[in-house]
Amino acid sequence: MRGVTWALAGPVRRTLPWRALGAAGAVGLLIAGVPRLTGAQPNPWQTLVLLRGIALVGALGLAFLLDDPARHVTAAVPTRRPVRQALRAALVAPLVALWWTAVLLLAPPASRPPAAGITLEAAVTCVFALAGAAAAVRLRDEPRPGPGVAAALLVSAALAPLLAPESWALFVPSADERWAAAHDRWAVLLVVAVVGWGVCGPEPVARRRRRATAARAAGGAG
Amino acid sequence: MTFTVSASGLSLHYGGTRALDDVSLRLTAGVTGLLGPNGAGKTTLLRVLATAVPPDRGAFTVLGHDPGSARGRQEVRRRLGYLPQTPGFHPDFTAFEFVDYVAILKELTDRGARHREVRRVLEEVGLGDVRGRRIRKLSGGMRQRVALAAALVGDPGFLVLDEPTVGLDPEQRMRFRELIARAGEGRTVLLSTHQTEDVAMLCHRVLVMASGAVRFDGTPAELTARAEGRVWSSTERDPGAKAGWRTGTGSFRNVGEPPAGAELLEPTLEDGYLLTLDGTGAEVAA
Repeated sequence: MRGVTWALAGPVRRTLPWRALGAAGAVGLLIAGVPRLTGAQPNPWQTLVLLRGIALVGALGLAFLLDDPARHVTAAVPTRRPVRQALRAALVAPLVALWWTAVLLLAPPASRPPAAGITLEAAVTCVFALAGAAAAVRLRDEPRPGPGVAAALLVSAALAPLLAPESWALFVPSADERWAAAHDRWAVLLVVAVVGWGVCGPEPVARRRRRATAARAAGGAG
Repeated sequence: MTFTVSASGLSLHYGGTRALDDVSLRLTAGVTGLLGPNGAGKTTLLRVLATAVPPDRGAFTVLGHDPGSARGRQEVRRRLGYLPQTPGFHPDFTAFEFVDYVAILKELTDRGARHREVRRVLEEVGLGDVRGRRIRKLSGGMRQRVALAAALVGDPGFLVLDEPTVGLDPEQRMRFRELIARAGEGRTVLLSTHQTEDVAMLCHRVLVMASGAVRFDGTPAELTARAEGRVWSSTERDPGAKAGWRTGTGSFRNVGEPPAGAELLEPTLEDGYLLTLDGTGAEVAA
């Protein structure tokens, strides 16, 4: 499997949706640079909202990561889908990390929220985008589910602050005493997103009922 | 007799729609044609047999492996070639790069051997001269051949082809027939098509599907024989005919139950197909 993964790295790199990823990255950096470009001095809450918005923009780009116009041609190859998806994610992960570091550095230092907390929030948003893309690939036959996943992510991001109960507050200011507790919840969400991606990654398995009758068919296979 | 594919009781629902209804079949080496109207379940059956989607019920084996387990499915896929109905490509890849990409996904990891194999299949489908050309610059027929090359790479024992000749001009179709006939030498090919001519010229066996079920399973000659004595010529369209149309000579060719004394014509595979579909609830294309 290692040989396949290594050989696939080059071609898969070329199949990635670089336009969507590049556009999201550029827009994110542009937004992050606005305070420096305009000389504005945002307060901590404004900077936090700005960074959350940039994380969402990055996640919207990642919603396209599993788009594959050749999906149907490669529907029945022995290299498993989770391997292919993980390779795509692994190829962009270093770039996403660099991009997020640049975003944090561009944010005004005086009002920048704790890096670990906001990075956790960004990671959750991005992994949810990937889990959504994996779910779309599993449940739908569409070679390019990205636009639908991005739309769903956008709607979810808009509704989450409105629908999250007060006892499960997530979008709290960095000076708020609930910041640490909120980030415990973000960590839970990260686990949920990773597990969701892990569940949606593999292709649907055969059903037990089929296995029970498999021997019968094999018996007639002469 | 050794069966490449042995399936029993395959059923699959999409929501409330029954796409496959208790399909059982056995395939041997050679080209088997799969005919049926739109929505008959041909593509669904091909996708199930290609392990792209598991059935709700039933079981099948391909080349002795049961795709009902992850390991079995992987073993099947190692020996399977699949050309889907709407093949998509990465347009910036060259023909060689794309087939090479599929070859890697088929676990051909030795670079030298893999490149030889990719060159071989591209030569086989007649794309050796344009293998360095980007897919976006290839014609529709050439793209179909790239997809066929991708299906053929790795020398699969079971080849699943879903309407490979759709949208091709007559010359390209002829070329594709040659390729499919060659592919069927020594391996099992399941060919879904709307072209009864393709079946008549290529296949040793034909299945007719309607409403998710197999309505006919036999040789092309047996399917044609179903229309024996049921095709006739007349000067007017016969209202009692199941289907009838004016031919180029001005007379009408009718298919159905002929009136007494009708001038009977030699039936074709298409006539047999139309009569097989009649009464199944499927649309008769006339």
